[in-house]
Amino acid sequence: MHEAPATPGTERRAGRLSDRLTLSAKRVLWAWLFLAVPVVFYGAIRFWPTAEAFWISFTDWNLLRPAQFVGLDNYRRLLADPLFWKVFANTFLYLILGTPVSLVLSFAIAYHLDRVRFLHGFLRALYFLPFLTTAVAMAWVWRYFFQPVPIGPINNLLASLGLPAQPFLRSTLQALPTILVPAVWAGMGFQIIIFLAGLRAIPTSYYEAARIDGLSERAILWRITLPLLKPTLVFLVVFASIGFLRIFDYVYNMNTNDPGGPLDSTKPLVIMIYQTAFKSYDVGYASAQTVVLFLILLAISLLQLRLMRQPT
Amino acid sequence: MATIALEKLVKRYGPATIVQGIDLSVAEGEFVVLVGPSGCGKSTTLRMIAGLEDASEGVIRIDGRVVNQVEPKGRNIAMVFQNYAIYPHVTVAENIGFGLYTSKLPKAEKQARIQEVARSLGLEALLDRRPAQLSGGQRQRVAIGRAMVRNPSAFLFDEPLSNLDAQLRGQMRIEIKRLHQKLGATSVFVTHDQVEAMTMADRIVVMREGRILQIGAPMELYERPVDVFTARFIGSPTMNLLPGALASRDGADGVALEDGDAFVRPPIALVGNRAGGGGPKVLLGVRPHDLLLKAAPDSAAFTLSGTVAVVETLGTETLVHVDIGRRSVVGLAPGRIVPSPGQRVTLAADPAALHLFDAATERAFPRPLLQQP
Repeated sequence: MHEAPATPGTERRAGRLSDRLTLSAKRVLWAWLFLAVPVVFYGAIRFWPTAEAFWISFTDWNLLRPAQFVGLDNYRRLLADPLFWKVFANTFLYLILGTPVSLVLSFAIAYHLDRVRFLHGFLRALYFLPFLTTAVAMAWVWRYFFQPVPIGPINNLLASLGLPAQPFLRSTLQALPTILVPAVWAGMGFQIIIFLAGLRAIPTSYYEAARIDGLSERAILWRITLPLLKPTLVFLVVFASIGFLRIFDYVYNMNTNDPGGPLDSTKPLVIMIYQTAFKSYDVGYASAQTVVLFLILLAISLLQLRLMRQPT
Repeated sequence: MATIALEKLVKRYGPATIVQGIDLSVAEGEFVVLVGPSGCGKSTTLRMIAGLEDASEGVIRIDGRVVNQVEPKGRNIAMVFQNYAIYPHVTVAENIGFGLYTSKLPKAEKQARIQEVARSLGLEALLDRRPAQLSGGQRQRVAIGRAMVRNPSAFLFDEPLSNLDAQLRGQMRIEIKRLHQKLGATSVFVTHDQVEAMTMADRIVVMREGRILQIGAPMELYERPVDVFTARFIGSPTMNLLPGALASRDGADGVALEDGDAFVRPPIALVGNRAGGGGPKVLLGVRPHDLLLKAAPDSAAFTLSGTVAVVETLGTETLVHVDIGRRSVVGLAPGRIVPSPGQRVTLAADPAALHLFDAATERAFPRPLLQQP
């Protein structure tokens, strides 16, 4: 025999595709096979409409007549629209009030809950409960709380204490913070759980070493606990910020007669978008607003990640 | 420097008693090692000294002062933890500086102290690094540095070498020992590793199930263990134990082993007048390093013959596992002699090197012959 003897088995198997691929190539192939489903789904449901929105924002489409390219007209109109600037300010008010308040409260609760052994599981479940409840139901319950005398319990309480009744949702000044109350409260359950997990991940010997070195509780909190919680904080700040920038359901449901009222004092960007698109059918203009919201979210997220991800 | 004294110290967690009333006094400048298997209460004892745990009963004194109700920071002790407990978010210098947190020294002086400690631990070049950029040994040195910087009256070490690899552990052992010799600080060191205990301690405290079994200098524990547990715990490889009974043969007192018909005459005082007719059951102990492979042992020697089962070559010496009856014993052959499995060999020991334990109580018979002067 002149030829190298090939075993019959290997010769036959060489024909099949699966045997011609290397082991790692096969692994990659399988991975993509499984990934294909969500990738195609996401592409069709999420990314394509998102890209479409960018295009629509340059048109005057109103659902009825075919879209016509109008260049930057929608954006020019937006910048000249006093309502947009009002809404822009409101949206940032939600963000700069809601994020710190909710995080400080959640951290304070998680920090103390972490030390409580008695009824720990029950208390944790109690704080988590709002997170499981629908926003609409909560918004309506809180809306009832804030009603005037004799319906709203809070005003009833104020009255029984001899304090002046407050207009809450009917005041252009008080309505926005009032809406923030249930929004903050609803998000806290999630934040507390994440904070608790972060606190648990800090080795107890860090605290013991600090006690031996004579650090006070305060110093331990500021110099050890909080710096070590930074990754948790980054996550929650970004997460909460995005949530407050996109606030919709609490605003809408706490004032269904005039969402965003009174006098647009509580109107966030998302409600403006909703009303422009589905009340005025000015889809091109609404898309331009969406693009602006998207850019704001992107900028804020990137900024926060950058600020807080300094070397640890 | 300080003395530490524990009096009838007890620690309970609910119904479980972890430390069952121990007494211990550590002299000024002494290096005491608490050693025992996990769960023996050694770490709990250390944590009570540190003030991280409350004592359920008993008294803890540091320099004669009762400190049961004193906060950890008020005890002027420093502790080195198993996982180092150095903070990942600050530099080496800041980590060491944490040790000076409460001191009222001016800033410049604090810096000088940190520099000085870093120099003595060889950490100067690393002061601006973060712990993530350090090796395990370097991190451990930072932890020791933080403990040293304050000039504490005592050092407490809680298994500080357990997370290091074998080579580094050996190195750090020597470094800690050297540091102790230099600083002369009272130290209490907890470990489950008898090698660490033997190599580092001035005195070893062997603990088991919340009680102290024996306290003594390393060689004292090695030569005169008070019971089977200590005898087996101290020394590596562990002591061979052969069951037998006290008996008289040809008018001489000795031990008749269960396996084979070997009759041993340990030093007479070892048996004393306990050898009676019925013969209480005993355990005859012999350390592998006393049980040597011999072609022609002298007639006075204690000998065991059997077949080689397994051979462990260590280079400087060879451990020979020999099957004798139903039992296996470990003996020693000089480095270059490597018997092959299946070979029939004789192991011999000087009778003076034998240990004898009561099989029922596991307590040792006294060994007067080896009593230290």
